[in-house]
Amino acid sequence: MEFSWDFAPVFQNYPVLLKGVGMTALLWVIAFPLSMLVGFFISLATASRNKVAIGVGRSYVEIFRNTPVMIQLIWFFYAFPILTGQQLTPVFAALCGLVLNASAYCSEIFRGGIVSVPNGQWEGGKALGMSRQQLMRRVILPQVFARMLPAFTNRGIELAKNTSIASVIAVQELMYQGRALSAAFYRPLEILTAVGIIYFLLIYPGSYLASRLEKRFALRT
Amino acid sequence: MNYDWDFGAVWEYRQMLLDGALGTMKIAAVAILLGVVIGAVLATMRLSRVRWLEYPALWFTEFYRNTPPLIHFFWAFYALPVVLGVSLDPYAAAIIALSTQSGAFYAEVFRGGVISVERGQWEGARALGMKPHNVLRRVVLPQALQRMLPPFMERSFELIKTTALASTLAYSDLLYQAMQVNSITFRPLEVYTFVAAIFFVTLLTLSMLAHVVEARLSRSSYQSAR
Repeated sequence: MEFSWDFAPVFQNYPVLLKGVGMTALLWVIAFPLSMLVGFFISLATASRNKVAIGVGRSYVEIFRNTPVMIQLIWFFYAFPILTGQQLTPVFAALCGLVLNASAYCSEIFRGGIVSVPNGQWEGGKALGMSRQQLMRRVILPQVFARMLPAFTNRGIELAKNTSIASVIAVQELMYQGRALSAAFYRPLEILTAVGIIYFLLIYPGSYLASRLEKRFALRT
Repeated sequence: MNYDWDFGAVWEYRQMLLDGALGTMKIAAVAILLGVVIGAVLATMRLSRVRWLEYPALWFTEFYRNTPPLIHFFWAFYALPVVLGVSLDPYAAAIIALSTQSGAFYAEVFRGGVISVERGQWEGARALGMKPHNVLRRVVLPQALQRMLPPFMERSFELIKTTALASTLAYSDLLYQAMQVNSITFRPLEVYTFVAAIFFVTLLTLSMLAHVVEARLSRSSYQSAR
């Protein structure tokens, strides 16, 4: 245990880490809304009555939920360009992988919400002459959205953690910068500990919010 | 999009990929076992109602649950040796990272299962004159275990997927071996698609098996309750 802590490299290089935080935030801010949007359309397919749509939607969900995110990112960066003949930038490949992965989970949250609405609501809406689309927009979604909030918050947290994997394909986000700094200054303990703490500070408020939301909705029902 | 798929490269280097698959299975199995032990210890600490046991366990689980798994790998491989004064090989570092993070998640699963059993059950069993450890063993745990099973399986599947991160430490898991095969054959599309397919088939099979077991368990407990 003959070791003296020296956090100087962390403080001296804070702009580098800050840049990394910026890239991590950028990945999250783009990927999260997109994942919800894509996930919503997938859930329309899996909650529909069209057998082909259900089959395609389910395969999408199962493929992305049952393979590691890291392989998805690597696949988009190294394998996908072979099919298209066009090299993707690291950021773009990372976003593809992150969005497809998170959207599969988001679609399951939407589907769970949609099927949780009792049948009577659908029937009541139909009896009033509403189309399936109108029903979805005016009756079903407004009710389930609040209930889905904790699950979406948790998904946002998982996504924030997954952005760190983008460092593997050389996206210069927080993890990448942290590794570069620790290699340059031979201070892995301080720098990697600092990176861990920064991640914790970024992610913990989200999971605190999720647990608060869960308690609130648990009380109401 | 006129690409000629050629899985010859995958077949030619099957031995390397098989070694990788074994490497993945090895760290997954060891990390699940160690994770269960760590999780049980942490859950016991959190349920102990002793402050100086409760809070360290709480902060340990919170820290692991709110930081990316990748940082645990790098920390175990590059930073922990500085603290310990001995260098760790990629295998040891991967096991440490995987088992501590899964331990943190398992702890929540175990704790959730125990507290989900209503207070009345404790009180009823105590009123019948059972000792606390008997109440735990005969009344609470049998019910809690069944409720823990689905989230426990889900966490274990997450762990299996997370093993792929061990490749960043140059541990020869399936993904790392695939990278090696790719660098020899320059066939990333086939190699990575193959690796993804292996994970997909394995995890889908396991989760279907888990569903069957869960359905059977809940049916049998319903029948014995009647």
